[in-house]
Amino acid sequence: MPKITFIEDGGAEHAVEATVGESVMHAAMDNLVPGISAECGGYANCATCHVYVDQAWADRLPAPEEVEEVMIEAAFDVRPTSRLSCQIQVTEATDGLIVNLPASQTGA
Amino acid sequence: MTTNSTMDIPAHVPQDRVVDFDYLRPTGIDEDLHLAWKRAQDSLPDIFWTPRNGGHWVATRAQDIKAIQLDHQRFSHKRLLIQGPEGHEGSVLTMDPPRHGLYRMLISPAFSPKAIAALEPIVRQTAVTLIEELRPRGECEFVGDFAKVLPVEVFLGLVDLPLEDREFLLPFAEKIARPRNPQDYGEGQAGLTQYISQVLTARAQQPGGDLLSKIVTAKIDGEPIAFEAAVALSRTVLAGGLDTVASILGFVARFLALNPGHRRQLIDDPSLVGNAVEELIRRHGIANTARVLTQDTEFKGVRLRAGEQILIPNNLYGLDERQVDDPLVVDFTRAHPDRHSAAFGNGPHRCPGSFLAKSEITVFLQEWLARIPDFDIKPGTTPRMASGHVNATHELHLAWDTDSR
Repeated sequence: MPKITFIEDGGAEHAVEATVGESVMHAAMDNLVPGISAECGGYANCATCHVYVDQAWADRLPAPEEVEEVMIEAAFDVRPTSRLSCQIQVTEATDGLIVNLPASQTGA
Repeated sequence: MTTNSTMDIPAHVPQDRVVDFDYLRPTGIDEDLHLAWKRAQDSLPDIFWTPRNGGHWVATRAQDIKAIQLDHQRFSHKRLLIQGPEGHEGSVLTMDPPRHGLYRMLISPAFSPKAIAALEPIVRQTAVTLIEELRPRGECEFVGDFAKVLPVEVFLGLVDLPLEDREFLLPFAEKIARPRNPQDYGEGQAGLTQYISQVLTARAQQPGGDLLSKIVTAKIDGEPIAFEAAVALSRTVLAGGLDTVASILGFVARFLALNPGHRRQLIDDPSLVGNAVEELIRRHGIANTARVLTQDTEFKGVRLRAGEQILIPNNLYGLDERQVDDPLVVDFTRAHPDRHSAAFGNGPHRCPGSFLAKSEITVFLQEWLARIPDFDIKPGTTPRMASGHVNATHELHLAWDTDSR
């Protein structure tokens, strides 16, 4: 099972075993990783599963589709490595993926 | 249009699944709308067929409501309302994925948490102004004086429409949300269509930074959006913005009027407000949408036929004891009430306005309770509630002591 490491804004790390075919967002929710709300449930509609993909991984993932790009702009504190984790699929190739979590998904 | 004749019952519907149930008038909504719906959930089969309103199925349990919401291949959005028309291009509510996503992404950013956080000062200022006007009066008709003013003024500002259009637009929204006869829905849609067509024609010529300008100048699959599609999408946004928060605010205010302990709890510990909003939404769901069967299929041992409609009352999701313990109890300290709610739906069609709705209810709780901490249902009056595509409180007279501040 591919391993994904989530790093909270405060530095706490959560290494989880993800399942091929699910989204990175679901891997976080299934393992109770804090810092992702995913209010819409995985349809790139709400921008509350916002993550920063580790620089080394940014170019290795498939590029976001238009629906995701539009909603990334609606997230807080957007950076060049911003992604919506519900739109990143877990594959064998994502084993070792590192994603950083923003300070807040809702600005609160 | 309504009939109880067993002659109209299709042959594949088992006799023990036939119930005379009118979703526009569940028995007992005059006393308490949600308890009336809850009684239907408690006493009727999980999935049943009613000959009322043209004949349709009803699924009452949380697990089934969610499964149906997520299974658009069998349960399509194409006819979203009982006896409603087939959807058409640009009517985002009646579209299935993946086409739905192309339209949805035109509106989702305008209602993101970031967009709503920026809007909150306007929500708060509008609410405070309204409440300060009402407070010295010692009474109000909450629905007309507040619930149908705050969210509608905020929304009209958001899409850059004149506030004075509120009075003109609300009757159309009412006919769409709670038709009293089969003509109402069409009249409401026609009224909003005519209004929004004029607005969009003007904005296409002179676009601004508002959501309606964005819709009418958008591209779908690289092509300029069809005008009819822009009208349909804008009309959906308008109908949602005009009615839904107004509807739930009435239920929330009624609950608070009847429960001084809950009011006191929020005043004593304002940090509970965020969770209280989620819990009040769970307990007072408002939406009653339907799906249309795309094929003959079997669901939970019941045979369903292509073309039939099934009502999935989202408001029952949060009231199902199989989903949430003590569902009728409002507990502001309940853990994650939003996980036991389908008030905003599940799946790709989940309400885009949910963050705006929560922001407005939050501001209402904070600013109203700070100024009018104690209030009752005005003696001698009875709240009036109505069931429909969107459940609502129609009339709620409140009274308070003007020295109670």
